[in-house]
Amino acid sequence: MAELLLDTNIRFWVVLPIVCITFFVGIIRHYVSILLQSDKKIDLQQVSDGQALMRSRLLRENGKYLPKDSFVMRKHFFNDEEKGFFKTQKRQGQVKNPMTDPSMMTDMLKGNVTNILPMIMIGGWINWTFSGFITTKVPFPLTIRFKPMLQRGIELASLDASWVSSASWYFLNVFGLRSMYTLILGENNAADQARIMQEQMSGSAMAMPPDPSKAFKAEWEALQITEHNWSLQSIEEELLSNTVAPEDIYVKDKFV
Amino acid sequence: MASSANSNFSTWEEVRDQLRKFREDNVRCSEEVVEIADSLLADHANKLGDEAWIVYEQLFIASLDIGKIDVASACIRELNIQFPNSIRVRKLMGMRYEALQKYDEALNIYEDILEEDESNSVVRKRYVAIHKARRNIPAAIKLLNDHVKKFSADHEAWMELADLYISEQEYSKAAYCVEELILSNPHNHLYHQRYAEIKYTQGEMPMACKYFSQAAKLNGDNMRALYGIFMSASNLAGSPKGNAKTKKDNMKYAAWAARQISEKYKSVEMRDHDAQVEAIEEMLDSLQVVPSTN
Repeated sequence: MAELLLDTNIRFWVVLPIVCITFFVGIIRHYVSILLQSDKKIDLQQVSDGQALMRSRLLRENGKYLPKDSFVMRKHFFNDEEKGFFKTQKRQGQVKNPMTDPSMMTDMLKGNVTNILPMIMIGGWINWTFSGFITTKVPFPLTIRFKPMLQRGIELASLDASWVSSASWYFLNVFGLRSMYTLILGENNAADQARIMQEQMSGSAMAMPPDPSKAFKAEWEALQITEHNWSLQSIEEELLSNTVAPEDIYVKDKFV
Repeated sequence: MASSANSNFSTWEEVRDQLRKFREDNVRCSEEVVEIADSLLADHANKLGDEAWIVYEQLFIASLDIGKIDVASACIRELNIQFPNSIRVRKLMGMRYEALQKYDEALNIYEDILEEDESNSVVRKRYVAIHKARRNIPAAIKLLNDHVKKFSADHEAWMELADLYISEQEYSKAAYCVEELILSNPHNHLYHQRYAEIKYTQGEMPMACKYFSQAAKLNGDNMRALYGIFMSASNLAGSPKGNAKTKKDNMKYAAWAARQISEKYKSVEMRDHDAQVEAIEEMLDSLQVVPSTN
């Protein structure tokens, strides 16, 4: 196939503008999202529930270092049938409907305004304005499978897969400018679209606080089957045998 | 730490890194912080970027610690201009009032903050600090109890509560707090040692001996724990209770601890070497055992 020669005007009027537009949109989005940011109020109840769960987990893991009395006392505090913490603390299911909670609605709206809307608008606009250009060529041969990825908007069967169309160039920029943003705006900036996409995929942007009553029940069960096995039972002997003098080892070694 | 206090830093980056290290390790070298952070902020504040504000906060707290209120006031002025109405800066203002012993003004500030953000545990702990500063230990204990009820994984609070209980001589409650600390980090020999000391004070010798041993196992150089083993084990060996076997065992433990201690002392060069060794020899004699036999 004959080598294509691109018009130099494409460089000045298509490639560079797309890079600049994506870059500056990212920067603007970073500052807009800082403006719209609402600091999340932490619920005191939630914090203390979480800390109680953590304490119970530590008791399960490290309880063997405590004397038996102390372990049983703590287990009783958490698990007693009548007065136990996990039995008496009843939390109503906190699975709120996001539609009825106005603060959640505004959070969602803000997320959409800063993330989805610009993406659709800028993407659509770039697709419309710069449609149909071949912008650049990747310097290595690619298989035919890459054509839908690199040549969006150009459906030419005879075109080599190494050529990149303008719409695809835009997407390459969207994902490729991440390190530029970290360089300029610092870590954890809001300009990075790839991160936002990931968040939306995993749904963590809308993650609910876990239901405490369920977590309590699970922790209750786990603690219920934990037995106390004191690790300091024969600590003195262990200590003495650990630092024994070399000539004593044969006498002390129980396998001899 | 103290040796680095007099070292001269050649570049401002080194000063910055040193301050960072102080922050991360949470060490209290207030004099040094004031000394180096002040000149750093005076000459290179713009080079620090956003970190400058953290350094201001660090300098502020350090200068309150050594009573340089004028430095602290300068810091808080800068911070207030940069972050007007921020809760963190308001907390610092409260701390400044505390340092000036104007506790009521400080309490007012803290109450305002808690109204806005009731889950701010740092401010809650400032209340305890105020009560402690006013020598009102029972009130501080009560507040701290409320605090650990809500933030039951806050180990600093448990540690402070243990100290307060010890100062009030409520050893069993202090032991409970130290148990919490052991749960949080069972590999810290100091927690085990602390627990053993409380048990020793309470007179629970077997338990004290066990936890001193655990501390010595975790850190063989913990002299306090070795002495603790010696003391508690020889106490058990000499007590009228207990059967012959446990007495014999305890004798063995005490002898072992004594030997360890004397070896440790021999291995370090000491000025008053002879006096120390003599004291240890006496200690061994008090046991009336020959250390080399098991």
